[in-house]
Amino acid sequence: MTNMLTDFVGLKMKNPFIIAAGPWNRDGSSTKKGLLAGAGAVITETIVSDAMLDVRPRIAYNGFGAQNIRLYSDIQVEGWEHEMDIAKSAGGIVIASVSAHTPSELAYLASKMEKFGADAIEISVSNPAKEGLEVLASNPDVIFDMTREVVSNVRIPVIVKLSQNSTNISRVAKAVQKAGGSAVSAINSVRCILGVDIEKAEPSLPTYGGYSGVPIRPLGLASVATIAQTSDIPICGVGGIDNFRNAVEYMMLGASAVQVGTAVMIHGFERITEMVEQLEEWCDSHGISDVQEIRGKALKNLKSFDEMKIEPAISISDGRPCREGCNECVRSCVYNAIEKTGNEVKAIGDRCTGCGLCTSLCPIKKLHMKW
Amino acid sequence: MNIRHIAQKAGVSVATVSRVLNHPESVATATKEKIEAIIAQEEYTPNWFARGLNFNKTATIGLMIPHIMNPMHMEIAKGVEDVAQHKDYTTFMCNVEDNVEKEKQYLENLIKRRVDGIVFISSLLGEKDLCIADEQGIPVVMIGENRETLKYPVVRVDCQNAAYEATKHLLEIGHHDIAMLYGKKPEIENRQKIEGYKTALKEAGIAVNDEFIISVENTIEGGYLGGKKYIDMEKRPQAVFATSDLLAFGVIDAMKDNDISVPKEMAVIGFDNIRMSNLIEPKLTTVEKPLHKMGVLGARLLFDMIESKEKEEKQPPKEILLQAKLKIRKSCGHKERIGEMF
Ligand SMILES: Cc1cc2nc3c(=O)[nH]c(=O)nc-3n(C[C@H](O)[C@H](O)[C@H](O)COP(=O)(O)O)c2cc1C
Repeated sequence: MTNMLTDFVGLKMKNPFIIAAGPWNRDGSSTKKGLLAGAGAVITETIVSDAMLDVRPRIAYNGFGAQNIRLYSDIQVEGWEHEMDIAKSAGGIVIASVSAHTPSELAYLASKMEKFGADAIEISVSNPAKEGLEVLASNPDVIFDMTREVVSNVRIPVIVKLSQNSTNISRVAKAVQKAGGSAVSAINSVRCILGVDIEKAEPSLPTYGGYSGVPIRPLGLASVATIAQTSDIPICGVGGIDNFRNAVEYMMLGASAVQVGTAVMIHGFERITEMVEQLEEWCDSHGISDVQEIRGKALKNLKSFDEMKIEPAISISDGRPCREGCNECVRSCVYNAIEKTGNEVKAIGDRCTGCGLCTSLCPIKKLHMKW
Repeated sequence: MNIRHIAQKAGVSVATVSRVLNHPESVATATKEKIEAIIAQEEYTPNWFARGLNFNKTATIGLMIPHIMNPMHMEIAKGVEDVAQHKDYTTFMCNVEDNVEKEKQYLENLIKRRVDGIVFISSLLGEKDLCIADEQGIPVVMIGENRETLKYPVVRVDCQNAAYEATKHLLEIGHHDIAMLYGKKPEIENRQKIEGYKTALKEAGIAVNDEFIISVENTIEGGYLGGKKYIDMEKRPQAVFATSDLLAFGVIDAMKDNDISVPKEMAVIGFDNIRMSNLIEPKLTTVEKPLHKMGVLGARLLFDMIESKEKEEKQPPKEILLQAKLKIRKSCGHKERIGEMF
């Protein structure tokens, strides 16, 4: 049996899955649902000093990713005292997400949430809607001031949620560490317009919002890996986690824990139960005794561009017959290097430049890079 | 569900439940755990009914409002009242009308009525006047600044930086001769706004023209008179930065009466972002002061003090500085729509 216990910033979670901040955690009883579904911890929807009415509509989904212009919890701080009690009554770990415009405003909110029983604080000043083109989290100095002020006013761990909408995410992560923050979460949703209805000339939602779900996973993975390679602050991976494998990807690139948002929104809390079970099974079947062994495993295979050795590899078939009528590799080879005869394909040695595209396109994965 | 029910369920006296809530260390562990379990089961927050035990509370607070006719104060007052109402408190609102004597009188009256705390918006009083509240142990919180900084917990707004940003906005649009029309009150905040304005001008290499800096009453009429003065100047400014929206309304009115087009011939920027600033023509570019939030946070600081009288615990910070943000609309001739949205 794999030990799934995850010690993240001192929080003793029963597994590395955290339910991300969002309306699925809008109050005490919804937060409780995630904990009962088996999550190691939950993060409240972001709480602000002065809650406002939500805009309508505010969430759109196109089958791949979601756009939201949901702007924070609509429950006032006073209300969260009671909600936090309800959330905590399930016995699990509850992290309060807070946002504000100045360090003192943020610190005040955080200290209130600590008083109400939050186990940790997640600072979320990385929301891409409303805050404009430059999210606060893109500025390392601002993040330093905010983090330090919060850290010096609470005793519980402080996590800072970072944005992919910043020029140098690693610099921001370092600012968090220098200010005494316990960890970073990466990433928040990414500024987007989901699409345009070309018949009505109308964007999917009336204003810009945050992109989330499966399509942003590659951005999240790169952010997490970058932070892991440039600092030693604990990382919580967020963005597009849809199944347990995606969680393993984040952990292999350096995350200690992961958060799931859109997948819970679209598929329900059962998705968390599933991921927890399947991760455990996978670890068991791979002889992993402690889930944290996964952490950073893929980093040693992640090279910088300069370190990449140029091997004379070309595409080679493993000899299995092609799928009936398939012509994918031949059609897509920009170097015109693949020839098909009957049920077999072959790359012409001196034309194949080893780009590797055909190996990902082949539906039966019969092509491999070799030399 | 009230304290009596909890006591009944636990088979103890009301006084014992009360002690668990207020001085848990004085109750035997087994009893305490039993009562706490019942409270948790009922998903009740102790504070909800703990208040009922405080016989020496009146469940009222006082709110000093500089001028009830100023819409800005109404929005702050609403913030205070929202929190108070949530706590089941009644708010006595006192209209000071910018009159120190009236404010002193109200303070005495509130103390006589044994309010549990008082919030002051831009108070005219000093520590000497306020000490009668201290003597009675009545908590006091300040919203905004008017006189020199006092020792009380305060919710402030960074007016200097906001004024700097507002002036820079006018400069970026291309205005060079920028006037500043400031209200006599609130004093400290308006002084900060003038500082921010001067800093922005200096950074742009523009000499401050003292003739352009005019003080008037902080009313629409004051704004009108100020606007007239600028119109009559030999060398008119291209833009007016008014320290409140009310002043800006007056300036725009004066321009209209004299067939001067805003923003084509004169840009006008305000401060506060009261609701009406979005309704006048042209829609007013201004600085958004988080008015409702100021009220909400001021009330929270006050209730922190009222509630912590019983409990010894780590106190949250006592000074909250809030940010004011430029709200770009139509009165300064800015074209980029994106700036309007963000
Ligand atoms: C509808 C919606 C609302 C969200 N609200 C918040 C929020 O209140 N605070 C926050 O920090 N992140 C919020 N997020 C961002 C998520 O927490 C998460 O960072 C992001 O969606 C990426 O993860 P995912 O792909 O698993 O959803 C929200 C996301 C969505 C889709």
